[in-house]
Amino acid sequence: MVENSFIRFDRIGKRFGGRPRGGGGGVEALRNVSVSFERGECVGIVGPNGAGKSTLFALLLGFLRPSSGTVRIENVPPRDYARARGYGYLPELFDLPSEWRVADALDALARLDGLIDHPEAEASRVLALLGLDEHRNKQVGALSRGLLQRLGIAQALLGSHELVVLDEPTEGLDPLWRIRLREIIQTLKTPERTIIIASHELAEVELLADRTIVLDRGEVRDFLAMNMTGETRTVRIVLNEAHDAVEQAFPQLVRHEGREYLVQVETAADLTQRIAALIEAGGVIEAVSPAEGLEERVRRTLDAGSVS
Amino acid sequence: MRYLGLIAFGIVFILSGLAARGLAGSSGGHIELGQLLLMGGYPLVSAMLLLGWLLGRYPLIATLVLLAGVISRDRHNGHARIYASRPTTMLRIYAPRVLLLAFSAFLLSAILMPTFDVIMLGQWNGPSTLVLIACYVIAYTGLITLLSVFTRGEAWLTLLLAVTAMVWDALRRGGLLDNAPPGIAQVVAFILPPQGALFRVETAFAEMQPLPWASVGYVIGYGVVTLIAAAVFLEDREL
Repeated sequence: MVENSFIRFDRIGKRFGGRPRGGGGGVEALRNVSVSFERGECVGIVGPNGAGKSTLFALLLGFLRPSSGTVRIENVPPRDYARARGYGYLPELFDLPSEWRVADALDALARLDGLIDHPEAEASRVLALLGLDEHRNKQVGALSRGLLQRLGIAQALLGSHELVVLDEPTEGLDPLWRIRLREIIQTLKTPERTIIIASHELAEVELLADRTIVLDRGEVRDFLAMNMTGETRTVRIVLNEAHDAVEQAFPQLVRHEGREYLVQVETAADLTQRIAALIEAGGVIEAVSPAEGLEERVRRTLDAGSVS
Repeated sequence: MRYLGLIAFGIVFILSGLAARGLAGSSGGHIELGQLLLMGGYPLVSAMLLLGWLLGRYPLIATLVLLAGVISRDRHNGHARIYASRPTTMLRIYAPRVLLLAFSAFLLSAILMPTFDVIMLGQWNGPSTLVLIACYVIAYTGLITLLSVFTRGEAWLTLLLAVTAMVWDALRRGGLLDNAPPGIAQVVAFILPPQGALFRVETAFAEMQPLPWASVGYVIGYGVVTLIAAAVFLEDREL
């Protein structure tokens, strides 16, 4: 854990119910969790139901206090950070008073945010961004699940917060809006902003996150880097036909079946350089993909955890 | 919806008062209970007295109805977390809401009670009516807001405490607690809502005596202290 990280979880435990002062009993939602989040990164949190994702968020955002350990955002408790700076937050089950109208709700929430200079304009911006203009006068209670989710995302994007936390953001969205949301999140990525996403949609996390934290039964099982820095990666290369040059271009050949090769590389630059050499040698490439996607990696991590 | 319910409830009082006036109105402008007794016997007189007593609790009822769930409902359905993600304090979110609802309770009571007085007594008791209403609203706004920080059953709990305080105060006034261990009666009365002080204000109001300002001050102090406690716990409590 980096001492001067933007967000630090230091040996966090959270127990619901049970006897006070560590007297046992109750449900232990998180156990000895130490993680940090840096500015500018997009982090995915994945894990099965009941893994502790929402509890982690509740502690991160100061809704709950840890039973043990400390959480700090910019070296202050989360609630203090929220009062001073605020954050974008989409809860797993987003809801607002059913009688509120869409535009009024966003306007009211923008006005609550003392850091927004022009609340009305900001509300209009997110209204348009999430395609809610034509629904602006609808009551929240009359919205479909997908529209309600878009309203939830819209309110989370009000202002320009340095911390954005999205709990199951694709829940209820149709395929088109899932793609649109991905584009929106890509535009949110800046060197100052930390984005944390919990999702069961591992493909979405894979496309968006720089790294992923695997939670299971209240513990961190693994940290998975999603980019190609820092660890050796296995890559699947498919040629139009088998070619001897593959072995020369990729000395770390793991497996070879017909015209499909599994090779290991160190970095993205390393992969590019070796593929260039392969093409130079006459290899015709049909596909290059990670040999193991996030889904397989998470499954392997969870399987290892359940065995241990 | 709650406002409509309270207005409808108020209209029942007004209609009952007008009916009583039509049946037993005197030339002096007030209702003759003796005439009501002749017409409907004790049940009718009891009904009118009960109505009058209930009307005296209207500020309490309005406060409970309007402020029920003021904080607890948002905590329960997750809205409080949405609000808390903004760079603001919970106090800034809830203080205007509590004050607006309390003022609404005051306003509804301030319209209904003097109107009923005019119908039943033929005259308005003056600004002391408003002081009595304010005392009820302030005391119980503080209590229900404080309880709303902790539980969704705040309205029923406030009602239970109010009724307990009324009974306790009646027992104390009736001398039935004279044999209690020293200090117990006072301590319990101090912890419970300030019904003793409210009773003194009410009695002065009913007898058209000068208001006991020390009691008024005590009731307002109780409301202010509970509101401050609510604000402190609200900022600190888990959501």
